[in-house]
Order: sequence, then C-alpha cells, then structure tokens
Amino acid sequence: MTELRLVEPEAGGGPFPEGPETGGGPFSGGTPLPRRLPRGRHGIPAGLVSEHQRLRLLAAMAEALGAQGYANVTTTHVSELASVSTSTFYKHFGNLWDCLLAAYVAAADRLCAQIEAACFAAGEDADASKPADDTDSLEAGIAAGLSFFASDPAAGHLLSAQAPREASALCAARRLLVSRLAAMLRRTRDANEEALQPPGLDERLIDATLAFLHSRLGSEAESLIDLMPELVAILDRSRCRGSEATAAP
Amino acid sequence: MRQEACAAAREALPVESTETNAPTPDGTIREGEMEGVLHVVGELGYRAASVRAVLEYSGGHRRQFYDHFDSLEDCFAQAYETWIDRLGVSLLEAAIAESGWRSSVRAGLVQLLQSVTARPEIARALFLEVQVAGGAALIKHDEAVERLAGLLDSVRGEIGADEEPPAPTGVFVVGGIEACVCDALAADEANRLWDALPELMHLAVGSYLGNEAAERALEEAQALLERDRAGLEGGAR
Repeated sequence: MTELRLVEPEAGGGPFPEGPETGGGPFSGGTPLPRRLPRGRHGIPAGLVSEHQRLRLLAAMAEALGAQGYANVTTTHVSELASVSTSTFYKHFGNLWDCLLAAYVAAADRLCAQIEAACFAAGEDADASKPADDTDSLEAGIAAGLSFFASDPAAGHLLSAQAPREASALCAARRLLVSRLAAMLRRTRDANEEALQPPGLDERLIDATLAFLHSRLGSEAESLIDLMPELVAILDRSRCRGSEATAAP
Repeated sequence: MRQEACAAAREALPVESTETNAPTPDGTIREGEMEGVLHVVGELGYRAASVRAVLEYSGGHRRQFYDHFDSLEDCFAQAYETWIDRLGVSLLEAAIAESGWRSSVRAGLVQLLQSVTARPEIARALFLEVQVAGGAALIKHDEAVERLAGLLDSVRGEIGADEEPPAPTGVFVVGGIEACVCDALAADEANRLWDALPELMHLAVGSYLGNEAAERALEEAQALLERDRAGLEGGAR
C-alpha cells in the first residue's frame, strides 16, 4: 500500500512554501507525491484526497505541456499523467487554461521563494565586519533560480515560455512574475546605483533572462548551473559604473 | 555595424527580391494564403486556426490551398520562414543604412517596432504563436534569433579583450527585446512598445558596452522619441 506522509505546514511559508511538486500544504516536506492514492477504503479524509488530486494535476500540467507543447496539450493528457479521470479534472478546474494558470502561479511562488531564501541566506552568511557585497546576493539568487530550472525543467519551461493568445490570464501572471523578480534584482543594487537606473530596465533584464533560460532548457537543462558566471556577468554589466568597456562606437 | 557581418547575414537570408521576380498568378494566390495563415493565427491563436479561416481571409479555394501546402501546419511553417526572413532583411537594411554600431542597433530596433505596430496580428504569429506551433517554424525562429545575435556581436571587434562581454550576450539581448514585444502583443498594446525604446536601447548597449554608453543610448532614444515620435509611428513599412 502506498504510504501517504503527512507533514505539518511550515510556519510563515505561504500557501505553497516548499515541496517537490507544487509546494506546501499538508503534502510539503520534500517527499515526492505518490502518483495516486490507494484504491478502495483507505480512511484518508475526502478533503486530503481532493487536495492531493489537485496537486497532482498541477504537476501533471507542467509535465504534459513539456511533452505535448501548447499546440497539442489537452485535459486528457493532464488527467492521465495525474492518474485521475477527466471528470475529476473538471471538478478542480473549469478548463485547461484554468489549470495552466494555477500551475503557473504555484511554480512562480516556488521559484520566488527559493530565490528569496537564497538571497536571505547570502545576506546572513556575509561577514559583518566587511561592507555588504551586493554581488553575493545576486549570485545566490541566480544560482537558486538556475537550480530551480535544472531540477524541474517542466516547471522552468512553463514559467519561461511565452503564453498563447488564448491564455490571457497567463500573460498577466507572467508579467507579475517578471515584476517580482525585477524587484528582487533591484534589491541587489546599492542606493546610488538604484537612483541612476532607468525605470523598467530591471523588467527587461528579467525578461531577457527568462528568454535565455528558455532557449537553454531543451538541450542544457542539467548543466544550467554552469551558466551562472556568464549570467551574473551579463546582469552585472549594465550597472558597472567604474569599469566602462570601451569608448562607445 | 560591421559591413562584413551584415553581408554575411544578408547571404544567410535567401529571400528573393520581388522587384526582379514578378509573381505568377498562382504565386500570388500562394502568397495570399501564407499571409492569410499568419493573419488568422495571429488573430485567433494557433490552436483555433483552420484552413477555412485562412481561405476566408485570402479568398482562395481549398483545392488550391492543398496544391500549395500539405496541411495547415505546413502552410504556417512555410509562411513563417518567408516572413521572418523578410523581417530579418528589413532590420538589416535599416541597420546598415546607419554608421556606427549604436546607431545601427537603434535603427534596427525602430524598424522592428514599426513592423510590429503596423501589422500586430502578423507579429503575434511571428513572435507569440510560433511558441505554440513549435516544429519547423520554431526552428526558423531560433535561427533568426541567432542571426540577430550575431549582428549585435559585430561590436565585439571594437571591445578590448579584457572587457569582452560573455558569449551568450547577443542571445540574451535579442531574447529580452522579443519578450518585451511579446508582452505588448499579448496585451493588445503594440503601440506602447515605443515607450520601451529607450529601455531596450539601454539593455542592448549596456549589455555590450557597459552603463555609461547605455545611458547615452537611452538619452539618444528619448530625444529621438521627443523629436519624431509621430513620424516613427507613422513610418511603418
């Protein structure tokens, strides 16, 4: 019989703080979700069964999208991957795009939580006797982001791909993610640099980073972390002030 | 922008000039079907597009359509290749008409924004829906990105070895510009792209030449918009 491990939600972690599939709730704690719950009488409360199904559907949505692409993915693909019936799918989501949006938001929350935790840890680790080095925080954040994309390419693909026209809510969710990540990028600058930064540039840098990672996900997903020095150099370059590259042609 | 880089890119874009090859009637119909599929995909989305919708736009017959293409997917792939190459050529022509890398980048960017704002439904097919379509069209898209990145890289010869930007800088910059275009197209606000021109110039120039040059590029783009925004918006080809 499949063992369902229940873990108390972590304090202050938000609705989906951490976890391998979509994050937290009663299924957090680092153990991958079982594909399905045991059949027949198992004594698991209906609410937990329902939440488990929903989390499986969210994880399956990203997987199905990676396998089928936006052109072909259907609710049947998602339901089969999640080991639920299509009628169960429609109990949880109105249509494919609702499921996609929920999967996107859950994955975006996980990505932001991982990056924030890494930046916070980098700040904690900094030697208090030395002036804070903003590059440490930038490197830690980028490493966390790359690690997320490498460990879950399906979620990375979902977050970095441009959404189709039918999924207008997904476009809005993408803009929100870009704004959140841009705000994190702004926090890695000191006040003097920040004052001179043109508004909107951080959003452009995040857009470019997501597009760049998307282009690398197919062939280099496992070695994404190796891109960190180049990505740090690119993101750091436009804010370099003392070391101008060359006279502008 | 380096002339040899531009020449190499031009050779890599096998687009026939319509001035020297007058289209046959059948060629005109085929051309209409290709424009039709991009229009329909841009308007309805790739998943909702159909041969019927394409023919309603282009005015042709189903049998002619299947004489020209194996399927709707085939039509989209061929149309995509033709139109993305044309766009590449127009950006290249705008860029090489200017002297100096920064001016060339700005001219190419202006040409891109003019193309996008003039035919947003076609642009949606070229930039957004190609991600849905995948397959041969997406391969062409990625090749076009690589070519544009190569053009941006032409400035490397003017940067000292110890200051050279990382290898993926071109792909990074082109991806950032494209994402900005996609964002505006997805929101049905193509015209707001002009507001982003200074930021995009800062992104492109700063990624290669650092912040000081980026600030000059930003100010030049702002001045250009203040001076001639109406002319730029109306200058779409």
